[in-house]
Amino acid sequence: MASGGGNQPPPSPPYRPYRLVRTLTAHTRAVSCVKFSNDGSLLASSSLDKTLIVWCSQTLNPLSRLIGHSEGVSDLAWSSDSHYICSASDDRTLRIWDARTGDCVKTLRGHSGFVFCVNFNPQSNLIVSGSFDETIRVWDVKTGRCVHVIQAHSEPVTSVHFNRDGSIIVSGSHDGNCKIWDADTGTCLKTLIDDKVPAVSFAKFSPNGKFILVATLDDTLKLWNYSAGRFLKIYTGHVNRVYCITSTFSVTNGKYIVSGSEDKCVYLWDLQGKNMVQKLEGHTDTVISVTCHPTENKIASAGLDKDRTIKIWVQDT
Amino acid sequence: MNVPIIDPLQGDFPEVIEEYLEHGIMKCIAFNRRGTLLAAGCSDGSCVIWDFETRGIAKELRDNDCVAPITSVCWSKYGHHILVSATDKSLTLWDVVNGEKITRTTLQQTTLHARLHPNSSTPSVCLACPLSSAPIIVNLNTGSTTVLPVSVSEAGAGTVLPSRNKFSDGSPPFTPTAACFSKNGDLIYVGNSKGEILIIDYKNIQVHGMVPVSGAAVIKNIVFSRNGRYLLTNSNDRTIRVYENLLPLKDGARALSELYSTMDELQGVDKLKAVGSKCLVFFREFQDSVTRIHWKAPCFSGDGEWVVGASASKGEHKIYIWDRAGHLVKILDGPKEALTDLAWHPVHPIVVSVSFSGVVYIWAKDYTENWSAFAPDFKELEENEEYVEREDEFDLMPETEKVKESDINEDEEVDIMTVEKDSSFSDSDISVEELCFLPAIPCPDVPEQQDKYIGSSSKLVDSNHSGSPLSEEGAQNGQVTNPASSPVEAIDNSIAEDTGAARLKRKRKPSEKGLELQAEKGKKPKPLGKVKSSGKSSKSKNKSAVGQDNGVSVSANGATD
Repeated sequence: MASGGGNQPPPSPPYRPYRLVRTLTAHTRAVSCVKFSNDGSLLASSSLDKTLIVWCSQTLNPLSRLIGHSEGVSDLAWSSDSHYICSASDDRTLRIWDARTGDCVKTLRGHSGFVFCVNFNPQSNLIVSGSFDETIRVWDVKTGRCVHVIQAHSEPVTSVHFNRDGSIIVSGSHDGNCKIWDADTGTCLKTLIDDKVPAVSFAKFSPNGKFILVATLDDTLKLWNYSAGRFLKIYTGHVNRVYCITSTFSVTNGKYIVSGSEDKCVYLWDLQGKNMVQKLEGHTDTVISVTCHPTENKIASAGLDKDRTIKIWVQDT
Repeated sequence: MNVPIIDPLQGDFPEVIEEYLEHGIMKCIAFNRRGTLLAAGCSDGSCVIWDFETRGIAKELRDNDCVAPITSVCWSKYGHHILVSATDKSLTLWDVVNGEKITRTTLQQTTLHARLHPNSSTPSVCLACPLSSAPIIVNLNTGSTTVLPVSVSEAGAGTVLPSRNKFSDGSPPFTPTAACFSKNGDLIYVGNSKGEILIIDYKNIQVHGMVPVSGAAVIKNIVFSRNGRYLLTNSNDRTIRVYENLLPLKDGARALSELYSTMDELQGVDKLKAVGSKCLVFFREFQDSVTRIHWKAPCFSGDGEWVVGASASKGEHKIYIWDRAGHLVKILDGPKEALTDLAWHPVHPIVVSVSFSGVVYIWAKDYTENWSAFAPDFKELEENEEYVEREDEFDLMPETEKVKESDINEDEEVDIMTVEKDSSFSDSDISVEELCFLPAIPCPDVPEQQDKYIGSSSKLVDSNHSGSPLSEEGAQNGQVTNPASSPVEAIDNSIAEDTGAARLKRKRKPSEKGLELQAEKGKKPKPLGKVKSSGKSSKSKNKSAVGQDNGVSVSANGATD
C-alpha cells in the first residue's frame, strides 16, 4: 500500500440532481406523513383529513384509502414485512391496518392525548408511540396489549424510533429533551440533550443503529454519536421553527441527509461534507415529511394545508 | 447485543420475579438460540412458543394424536425445528414456521431428555435419554436407533450396582444415564450410573475417553455451557461439578482420536482414563453442605460465568446461583411449589423456571434507573473523587468556553451503514438464515361483543369438560385454560379477550406477600382476577368501552411503576 497519499477518498461522481416526476393530489387536508414500505412496492400517506392512502410506488396510482379514524392522522409506520401500517391520530388511538386489503385490523387505545408519532420495531412484534399526553407507550402487535407506559417527557413527545435490533428507543420532545430508553424494561438509559430550548422535533437512528439524527426547532439538524454523547455533524440552511418535520437518510446512491423545510423546499445535504447539494422546489407550503425509497433513487415529499400534495422526485440516470 | 450504552454490568444474575406466564400446565422449557422465543411443552401434549419480547404467545404446536404430557423440548440450532418428547414414548419433530409435524417416532421407552444434533440446520438426528436405560441416537427420518455404550468396565456392564447408588428413598435402582452432545456435535458425553463420564465419538460410537467423577455417584444430568468450554455434572451425591473442556471446539473428535491412538502403552480402562484426563479437567464443585439438597435442572448462564441449579426438594422453589469460582451469590426463592424445569436466557441475565403447577416464572434483575441517564453530562462515580480546582476556576474568563467547541472533529467520516458483528453469536453460519422471531400477525379486534356472548356461551356450555374448544379460544391470547373450568368462567374467557392484559402481569419488585399472592393464584381456580376485570366489560355495550377498559387496567398497571 502506498504511503501517505492513500488517505484521500476517491473523488465521488458528480452529483446528479433530483427532479419532479409526479404530483399526487388525493388528500383534502394537509398531508402529515409519507413513507415508502420496506420492500419499496408501496407508498403510504396520512393526512389531517382523517384518512390514509396506500399508493403503488411504481405506477403511483392510489390503491386503497384507509378510513376509520375520527380525527386527523399525524404519523404512520410500516411493519417490516410491508403488510401492516400503523397510524397515529388525534383521536387518541392508533390503528393497525392491513395494507393489502385496507381493513383496520386493530385499534390500540390507552393514550390520553393526541398520538403524534409511531414506529414498529424491526421484528414488528412491538409498536412504540409518542403522544401529547407526554408518555411513550409500547404495544404488543399481536394482542394490542400495552406492554410499557413510559412517563417520558414533560411536554408532547414529537418522535419515537426503535434502533436496528429493537433493543432501544429514542424519543424527542417539545421539552427539549432527547432520551434513549431500554425497550425491554422501559427504563431511561441515557439523555442525549436536556436543554429546555430548542425543542427537539424529530429523532431517528441511522441504518446501523450507531448514530441518531436529531432535528431541533432552531433550523438545525445534528448527527449524534449517542454512545459518546457528542454530535458529529451539523446541517443547516433550511427553516424549521414551528413544525415537526421528518428527515431521513438517503443511502441508495451516495450518503445524504434529506429533510423538509418551512420554506416549502426539500433540502439534501451531503452526509460527510455537510454541504447542501440540492434544494427541491415545487411545494406551496411547508414540506412536513420526506421519505426515501429503499432501493431506487426516489424521494417522496408531503406538503401542509396550502399544498396538500405529495411530490415524487427521481434522480436523473 | 452490541448496544454500547446498555450497562455492561448487566451480565449479572437475576434477583426477583419479574413476570409469570400462564397457559395450561407447562412442564418443560427451552430458549431458542438468541433467546427471542421460549418453547414450553405442556401436559396436554401441545408445545407453546412464547415471544419472549412481548411475553405473548407466538405459536402453538398441537397434534391431536399426541396428548401425552411433554417431557422435554429442544430447538434446532437455527430455530426452524423443535423436537418434543412425550410420555407416550414418542419423539415428534415440528417445523416452527408453518406449525406442522414433520415426523414422529415411537421408541421402546419414554424419553426424559431429547436433544437435536447441534450442528445442522435441518437436523434429523437426535440423542434421546430414556427413563431407565442407555441413551440412544435416533435418526428421525428412518427411525433407526443406535444404543450408546454406558460402561467401560469388563466386569458386569450394567448389572448389579453397589448399594450406595440406590436412590435415597430406597426404590430399586435403575440405570438412568445422562448424555449430551459437545458443542459441535461430533462427540457425545455420557454420564453413567457408576459416576463416570464417557466421551464417545459420534461417528463410530466408540468410547475414546473416560473421566471418573469423584464420589462415583449416579450422574443425573450432564450439560455443556453455551460456549462449549465448560461441562457440568449433577450427581446423586448432591454435588454439581464443573469441568473444563480441554478439547478444541471445532475438531474435538479428531483431537480425541489422535489422543487415543497416541496412548499405545496403556490398555483398556487405564487408556481411557488417561485420554479422559486430557479432555476434561475438574474445575469446581458446588453443594449445599448445610441442607444437603439434591439438585435439579442445573445449567450455565449464557456467558458461562454463572452456574444455576434448582433444589429438587418438593414443596420449595429455590434456585441457587454460583459464580464459576464456586461462591454462592444468590438464592432465588419462589412460590412454595416444586420446580420442574429451569433455563437461563442465552444473552440476558434472566432465569426462567417452571413450577409444579405449570406456571412459568421469569426472574430478572431488579432494575434501578441509573441516575446518570437523566442528564447528558452526568457521570456515575464509584466512589468519591478528589477534585482539585484550577487556579483560575472561578475567574471570569469567557474564552475557555470557546475552546470546548472545536474539540469535535467535524470533518471525520461518519459511517452510518456498517453493522458490527455480534460477538456472542460468533459461530453463526451466515449461509443459514436463523429464525429469530415469528411474524406477529395482529389478532383482529372483535367487532361486536354482544352477539358473541350468546353464540359462544351455548357452545362452551355443551362442551364443558372437553379440553379443546376452550383451549383454542384461550390459546389465541395466551389465556389461562383450565379444562375443568365452569361455564361461567368459560364465558369470561371469551369476553376478556381484549382485557387479556389482566392475565399477564408485570411486577417489578414483588414483596414476599406479593409472591404469596401469586402462589395462591396458582393454586386456586383462576376466576378471581379475571371475573373482576371482565365484570366491567360485560356491562359494556360496544367495542370502544371495552377498549377503554383495556386502557384503564393498563394505566393502573403503569401507575404502579
